[in-house]
Amino acid sequence: MAAIASPARVRRRPVARAVEGQELALVVVLAALWLVLSIGTDTFFTSSNISNIFFSVAPIALVGIGMTAVIVTGGIDVSVGSQAAVVMVVVAKLIRDSAVPFVVALVVAVAIGLVLGSINGLLVALGGIHPIIVTFGTLNLYRFVALRIFENKQVSGVPSTLQKVGGGGPGETLGVPNAWWLAMVLGALMWVYMRYLPTGRHWYAIGGDPAAARLAGIKVRTRLVAAYAITGALVGVAGCVFIGSGGLVQQNAGVGLELSVIAAVVIGGTSILGGRGTVLGTLLGALLVGTVTSAITLLGWRSELTELFIGVFILTAVGVDLARARRRRSA
Amino acid sequence: MTATTTPPTPAPAPVPEPRGTAGRSSRLSRLVQLVLVERVALLVALLVIVVVWFYLLGQNGYLTAAYDSDYLAASLDSFVPLCILALAELIVMVSGRGGIDLSVGSIVSLAGMALGFLIGKWDWPLLPAILVTVLVGALLGAINGVLIAYVGFPALIATLATYYAYGSIALISNDNAPISSKPVQDVHSLTKGVDVAATIPDFPLQLLTFLLPVVVVVWLFLNRTTYGRKLYAVGTNDIASRFANIEVRQTRFGAYTASGVLAGIAAVVIVAQFASARPDAGSVGNGMALPAITIAVLGGVVVAGGVGRVAGVVVAALLVTWLNAGILLAFEGSDSSQFQLFALGALLVLSALLNAWSQRRARGAG
Repeated sequence: MAAIASPARVRRRPVARAVEGQELALVVVLAALWLVLSIGTDTFFTSSNISNIFFSVAPIALVGIGMTAVIVTGGIDVSVGSQAAVVMVVVAKLIRDSAVPFVVALVVAVAIGLVLGSINGLLVALGGIHPIIVTFGTLNLYRFVALRIFENKQVSGVPSTLQKVGGGGPGETLGVPNAWWLAMVLGALMWVYMRYLPTGRHWYAIGGDPAAARLAGIKVRTRLVAAYAITGALVGVAGCVFIGSGGLVQQNAGVGLELSVIAAVVIGGTSILGGRGTVLGTLLGALLVGTVTSAITLLGWRSELTELFIGVFILTAVGVDLARARRRRSA
Repeated sequence: MTATTTPPTPAPAPVPEPRGTAGRSSRLSRLVQLVLVERVALLVALLVIVVVWFYLLGQNGYLTAAYDSDYLAASLDSFVPLCILALAELIVMVSGRGGIDLSVGSIVSLAGMALGFLIGKWDWPLLPAILVTVLVGALLGAINGVLIAYVGFPALIATLATYYAYGSIALISNDNAPISSKPVQDVHSLTKGVDVAATIPDFPLQLLTFLLPVVVVVWLFLNRTTYGRKLYAVGTNDIASRFANIEVRQTRFGAYTASGVLAGIAAVVIVAQFASARPDAGSVGNGMALPAITIAVLGGVVVAGGVGRVAGVVVAALLVTWLNAGILLAFEGSDSSQFQLFALGALLVLSALLNAWSQRRARGAG
């Protein structure tokens, strides 16, 4: 709701801030965490560990870019994990059985994601069903499709066609994984699009009030389908990152991805009620989750604690936001 | 729309309507009511079709085993926890404002571990241990309730966070290992098959000891108490309810606590069924929240709140259980679990489309 600034807010803040409060807070928290970990452990601030963090966070960030748009419209997509499974099994079999080049694999992956995402979008926009119900349904249906294509066995012996976006040496430029570069470039494009272009702003308007958005002449249905379709396409890219290093694609591919992505988006300050949020915040949120996961491993803590931390982070991020909203209202 | 939420007894409308529209709105509500009544009828018809269809398939040798009354009765094993959790989702979804509880699976894990510790490690007698387990569930649900009703978190966010947190604590509690010492194994007797008479197939005991009381109590609570009426009112319209002097926060808090209580009861049933308290009991596969939410929606519960009935949810749970049981016999090996996924997903999307369509029709008629 805050995205469509009221006159009073515009007066108080004549130039739109490039960085929102929550993003600034995340940067501070991340910097502090990195500083403490670099001093506290001698393994954290090594190029291989930093590169690992970036690589493990890249798929979550990539899907998160699209998920930010979906959540800004007041929707949600919990089927991304199953979408990733479909993309991964098809692309893995494709590059194993017919040795297609990198570009073809990537295009196929994005195309599959685009189709699966569009189905979600059409059901939400035209079927008039609540997004969480639609995507809970397609979560099952897409997983079914993926498992049928798996034919009861994992896909092994996947060649390293996609190693340019995979982990390790061949997938890095300047010591940073290409997957993370990709996430940053696509994230930047999306950030500019959602911030400065009219059709990007429409998502915020829809999230703020769909009826008002329609009356203001926004093609609500088209814009909704676009948000889900873009998310699907990005799941396609993320699927390529997952199979990038080659080897094995297992039947449980992508299980639970939706929750990590939603966690990253929400920690990044996007309101689940729609109308507010930025891609920059999502990238920072994903980095925070990745850093904590890595730190828990390095400090030798139990890996199960990671989820506890994610839960606490979600509550903190949204809690701070709620408190600020309350202050804003009473001010 | 308020009257639509309250069959069979019409609730007092939170906002008095102007005279001119009274006739029209009652016609409208009768129509919507009809659609909701049809939902239960529709589900029963579907149920009959599914059972007859699989029975005929079994008679003609297309299934790997007979789909007869014994098999149907035995498959009610999985029906009990599923139905209890679906009722939990019914209550929170009716409470409105995007009510949903993603954490029920993790509550099942954590409360189940509590039961495991109480009787497996600290040698508590069974009954107080069960009571404390349900209280643990209530406490975990109450935490959700405080976050959502009093602090103002969106339900999706609060329960996503506690899904992570409770699940993590359950895993850590016993070093990721299940508790299955002798006393825990003995709990299995709670869920043995009962043999009432030769003519009735053996059905699982927990049907009588757990599910029946739960269904009756939930139904009485929603339909025969002031709290139930308030819950539907709050779910239909927050602001109108506040003007009608209903304690909105308290009511919504109650819904999430009730959901925790039901998850605690489901935890007891699941520990008994497996004769073991497993730290990941509620999170295997896609978790338990997902099927429960699916069944609630299939049973006619509307995500926006204020609409949903116990009968619809129970029949929907039975439909899914017996459909899954049939699919299990129809396909070999892991194929059956895949087609169960398909059936669940297709049912969810189709029933949601039906919900949306019937609501639109109701609005169009008004």
